[in-house]
Amino acid sequence: MNTPMNTRIALTVGPVLYYWPRRTLLDFYAEVAESPADTVVLGEVVCSRRHEMKAEDWLALARDLAACGKEVVLASQALLESAADLRALHRWADQTEFLVEAGDASALRALAGRPFVLGPHINVYSQPALREHAALGATRWVAPVELALDALALINPPAAPVNGGPANDTPVATEVFAFGRLPLAFSARCFTARHFHLSKDQCGFRCIEHPDGLLLDTTEQQHFLALNGIQTQSAAQHCLIADAPALRAAGVTRGRLSPTSRDFATVVDLFERTWNGPADAADAVAALEALSLPGGLVNGYAHRRPGLERMPA
Amino acid sequence: MQTSRTAHATLPRKPALVCPAGSLRALTLAIDAGADAVYMGLKDATNARNFAGLNFDLAQARDGIAYARSRGREVLMALNTFADARAPERWFAAVDAAAGLGIDALICADTAVLAYARDHHPDLRLHLSVQASATTWEAIEFYRERYGIRRAVLPRVLTLPQVEQVCRNSAAEIEVFGFGSLCVMVEGRCALSSYATGQSPNTAGVCSPPSAVRWEDGASGVSARLNGVLIDRYAPDEPRGYPTLCKGRFEVDGARDYALEEPTSLNTLALLPQLMDMGIAAIKIEGRQRSPAYVEQVTRVWRAAIDDCAAQPARFGVQPQWTAALGRWAEGQQHTLGAYDRPWR
Amino acid sequence: MKTSFPIRLPALPPPPAALRTLIARLPIQPPSRLLAAALNRVLRPRLPADAALELADRTVEIEVRDFGLRCRLALRDGRFRSAPDHGPVALRIAADSASYLRLLRGDDDADRLFFERALVMEGDTEYGLLLKNTLDAIGPLLHRPA
Repeated sequence: MNTPMNTRIALTVGPVLYYWPRRTLLDFYAEVAESPADTVVLGEVVCSRRHEMKAEDWLALARDLAACGKEVVLASQALLESAADLRALHRWADQTEFLVEAGDASALRALAGRPFVLGPHINVYSQPALREHAALGATRWVAPVELALDALALINPPAAPVNGGPANDTPVATEVFAFGRLPLAFSARCFTARHFHLSKDQCGFRCIEHPDGLLLDTTEQQHFLALNGIQTQSAAQHCLIADAPALRAAGVTRGRLSPTSRDFATVVDLFERTWNGPADAADAVAALEALSLPGGLVNGYAHRRPGLERMPA
Repeated sequence: MQTSRTAHATLPRKPALVCPAGSLRALTLAIDAGADAVYMGLKDATNARNFAGLNFDLAQARDGIAYARSRGREVLMALNTFADARAPERWFAAVDAAAGLGIDALICADTAVLAYARDHHPDLRLHLSVQASATTWEAIEFYRERYGIRRAVLPRVLTLPQVEQVCRNSAAEIEVFGFGSLCVMVEGRCALSSYATGQSPNTAGVCSPPSAVRWEDGASGVSARLNGVLIDRYAPDEPRGYPTLCKGRFEVDGARDYALEEPTSLNTLALLPQLMDMGIAAIKIEGRQRSPAYVEQVTRVWRAAIDDCAAQPARFGVQPQWTAALGRWAEGQQHTLGAYDRPWR
Repeated sequence: MKTSFPIRLPALPPPPAALRTLIARLPIQPPSRLLAAALNRVLRPRLPADAALELADRTVEIEVRDFGLRCRLALRDGRFRSAPDHGPVALRIAADSASYLRLLRGDDDADRLFFERALVMEGDTEYGLLLKNTLDAIGPLLHRPA
């Protein structure tokens, strides 16, 4: 059996949650291809109106990244509303070249019977729930961001992981959201468009102007949330770089790093050197602090505290 | 104009009016005012309205069910939070309790709870809670095929054509929200409350929990805080709202406004003919946390409206006295059709 | 479900002048004690045991704004009692007499009055909601005049 204290924590580059110009996106992934990341999740998961990348573009990019040795996962949208949204889901479900990450229950139906990833917006909050989803074929579970590490250990215990996969014989891997502005909520309403007094259907794609979301402050200037179209995020960046021992103890084998518009390659390097190398966690925190977006770093959720709190590791 | 309605050989099916009950008293008033069914929850974190002083103990639940039964009405139990990893058996015990009470249906969202009910109480009717965030017919079919749900409650984010598409393609009955406070986020997909307070609908059955609320009087007005985060600040004569996180005033780009949602209420009375045409099975009134007086009066209006619409769908019109009565009880005193016609679209 | 109570206010709805006279006649009897006595007859017997336990030993200040009247109460050792005039309170409730009467008769709900600012609740919000929900569940303490 593995000694959990020295196992590698694989690095997953999460889907780009923002609307970036195509060129920016391709440059970003060129950099990711050179990074120590193990897995890259591709696809538009927030807003189906965003159109810089078509399905074919994502697939071509996926093949390029796979050729560079990255495992590629195609993510389905978190909030499906229209028939077109369902068609987009089936576009991913119908291909077998890449693993697919389920964003909602429509995806669970489409993906049942094959290996797939449970995305962070699938509500798995207990072991019986994980078993239900593992029985569908899931082999990897990205835990909801609200869940504490002690809950992860109960849901998918490192000593006796839940079995998934089509034959129900593959231990499910636990992945946590480890870095970035937290995706906290989805709405049918586009808050970016609302801010600019635009209707959602004539939004002018103004979210493209906010590569890390649009900051929302309290009346006393506390950086609180970030608006990203129909998604609401935390302003602070969730950061578990100093929590590796607790992550390993909870059976976490993968960490998700959510793309930011600047210094992302540095972020990936820091996580690799800290989690899987000799770098000092406190130094890494200080380095990320210096690079952080307005709002700073938090990790409360991991420690069963309000998400906006920062706890010592 | 003459051909459309008269072509129907039969009148559209009358949707069931499903009303909230935070107490036995609200339950009896709802039944007396014409609810076809009431929904309630037990006094713990197994339901999404887990507030101090609300909900039913087993004896009250028994009395409520007897009261409804004797009048030919139904009682549905909401067990719609997600089982806590530390003690999922508490949720299973609540399923057992619900089955033992003989409730007409269990409203749940968690696959763990659905699976337990399916496996241990195969005769128990299951409804899919809005907290399951099933927004497409395929999502609903997932729950129907796997857990045998008979009805799904739709999140309040879909437009009317999208609701129609769900109705047309789903083999399960569809229930929609008719009236009540508006949740701007997709239910079951919102962690804003736990981000600020540590407790959310999914994890604790509460949103912006009262234990985290603080009111402060100051020179610049009255501040409403949620675990220290300033949600809103009111001038002395300004109407105040409960500091639900998404309904606060915040600054974006230097402009202070309701950046997410204004305190408004959903009211779909005007859409009744269309909803009935689609074959909506049930209309739900929000507000288990509201008073029995609210429940009674809102139920009465909707009873009259549904009966009117069923009797003469082509001539249905929203009566001014209905609008006035509902307006009295609406949060923010405003009416909106909400997402169903998407004023922001 | 109808229950009648031995206590009635002098007139319902009360002409403010009449109530003012009533209050003016009771200069030595602190209104808090009167209210406590009334609640011990009307409310205490209907208060569920678990709610009584949760509500106990906290001071609530009730202000009737149009009369300039203030009462302080606490539920101690199973009885409503007047509470000291000074010191912190768990909850402060302020409204006009008409709003209180509407609430007591079940004609209105606290949320609605709160939204309209006809009812002000300050202090421990959780305690306030517990109190509100408990009173809602019990039902009207007064009945509409015939």
